[in-house]
Amino acid sequence: MKDVRPWTYAALFGTLWGAIEATLGTAVHLGQLPLRGTIMGLAGLLCLVCLRRLQPRAGVCLLAGVVAIFLKIFTLGGLYPGPIIGIGIQALALEIALTGTGGRAIGAAIGGFVALATNPLQKLVTMWVVTGTEAVRSYLRLLQESAAAVGLEGLNPTVIVTAIATTTGAVGAAGGLWAWWVAGRVMRRLGKRT
Amino acid sequence: MNRLAGFLLSTSVVVVLFGPPLYAAWAALIAIVAAWILDPPALRAGLRVGAVLAIVFAASITAAVVAWSAGPQRGIELGGMVLLRLLVLTVAAAVLVRSVNAETLLRMTEKIGMERLGLVLGLALNSLPRLAEAAADVWTASRVRSDGTFARLRRLPGVGEVLLAHTARIAEEAAAAASLRGHSALTRSANVLRTPVRVVVVTGPSNSGKTEAVTAVADRLQSAGAHVVGFVQPGEFLEGKKVGFRLRDLATGEEVLLASLGERGDGDFGTRFQFSAEGFRLGGDALSRTVPDSVVIIDELGPIELRGQGHMPAVQRALAVADLGGAMIVVRRSLVPSLLAELDASDAVVVDVGDLGEGSVDVIVNAFNG
Repeated sequence: MKDVRPWTYAALFGTLWGAIEATLGTAVHLGQLPLRGTIMGLAGLLCLVCLRRLQPRAGVCLLAGVVAIFLKIFTLGGLYPGPIIGIGIQALALEIALTGTGGRAIGAAIGGFVALATNPLQKLVTMWVVTGTEAVRSYLRLLQESAAAVGLEGLNPTVIVTAIATTTGAVGAAGGLWAWWVAGRVMRRLGKRT
Repeated sequence: MNRLAGFLLSTSVVVVLFGPPLYAAWAALIAIVAAWILDPPALRAGLRVGAVLAIVFAASITAAVVAWSAGPQRGIELGGMVLLRLLVLTVAAAVLVRSVNAETLLRMTEKIGMERLGLVLGLALNSLPRLAEAAADVWTASRVRSDGTFARLRRLPGVGEVLLAHTARIAEEAAAAASLRGHSALTRSANVLRTPVRVVVVTGPSNSGKTEAVTAVADRLQSAGAHVVGFVQPGEFLEGKKVGFRLRDLATGEEVLLASLGERGDGDFGTRFQFSAEGFRLGGDALSRTVPDSVVIIDELGPIELRGQGHMPAVQRALAVADLGGAMIVVRRSLVPSLLAELDASDAVVVDVGDLGEGSVDVIVNAFNG
């Protein structure tokens, strides 16, 4: 029989990610905590990078994403599209980046950048699905007015969203490298070669 | 009726997301009625105060932002729309959550030719409690070692590291189990029921008379001088709906309440029912009377037992007794493949009472006598 470890590792790390999303994720979202998307994105990065370092096979991150989405759906309120899209994009970004770079640290940084940079865009998509076009326009206008209030007059909403995406992306890249380092410590703890 | 309610609930989700406001209001109403028909405790659990407040909060924020941007009228309209959408999504999720388990998943993924994905998702569901337990242990250990909130926060990365290592160890164990017992072990625990005798597996649809048939068989075997041990679990009904189970010891006739519907839908073992320790104790006592030549009757083994909980330890002990006269196990139709996979019996015969009607008792006795 073929080695089933990639499957069981993907299942278990996906479960861990899904459980964190369902518990901590629900708590920070209901509590309207600032930077909640970034916090949950970093938790996901940690699970995915660690999984990929322990089981360096193509596809494990995607499978873990499917498991996490499944568990997220099966928690109350899990049918909301936001977290599902977010988890899916994050798993896909990490999978492509790590596979494309041959499973190196730079892949974790790139994957982290893409995963967290898409966070604000994903929020807009979610908002559009749940509230509709007009509400999204209103939110963008609110964003523009808020920027003007802090002295950034005349910026159009696309520039503001791009700036936010780049900032969170940079945090994601740093988070990817941090997750890589933590994964190395986990491997040493398990007696595996790093 | 349930199929129609399921269809209406799914349609309501689509309509509330993509339909105009008037239709969305109707869809929300229909979704609530459909959820009430399908699973009232799920509806109550889904619409608990915290969830409703969160929905109202989200809708109010949207209404306020749109009112500021496009006027109060549009704000109220869009806020109402968001309220309806979130309400329907919450109700649909609550019903969905309570209707799926590892076996259902496996069947669904087998149908679309993705059995391995089903096994992985089944493993995810089954390992969730163990992972939660590991997380709780890691957190407790960290709390004990840290003095004060600041110290605890400093230890947080270390806690994450230990938890990730625990997760990897559980994955290794699951992989080892799968290598030993085949891929199917990914969704199952080590509950192999070893018995050297013929086992008659009695199955059939809900309310098809499985318990009555098995009770009649037990009476007939007892009249013929057999030493019958075990239990049956007759259902308790209120206005045609199953609201609980009793457990009856076949040897003594003693009967206690085993399970009743949870008041707020929060049952034990991930079910709608709350189980009594007294019921499990009587089940264990009934099976502990097993001696050589006994005929063991178990009505029934459910998903809880197939996960290694509930009556399972007592069942394993009873079936391990040497020189049994035979065994009869009742399971619902969907669990027959799982039971057969767990059963390491010398011979097993499946009797479906749903197809037999009144003649089921004779067929079971004949199957039993070989």
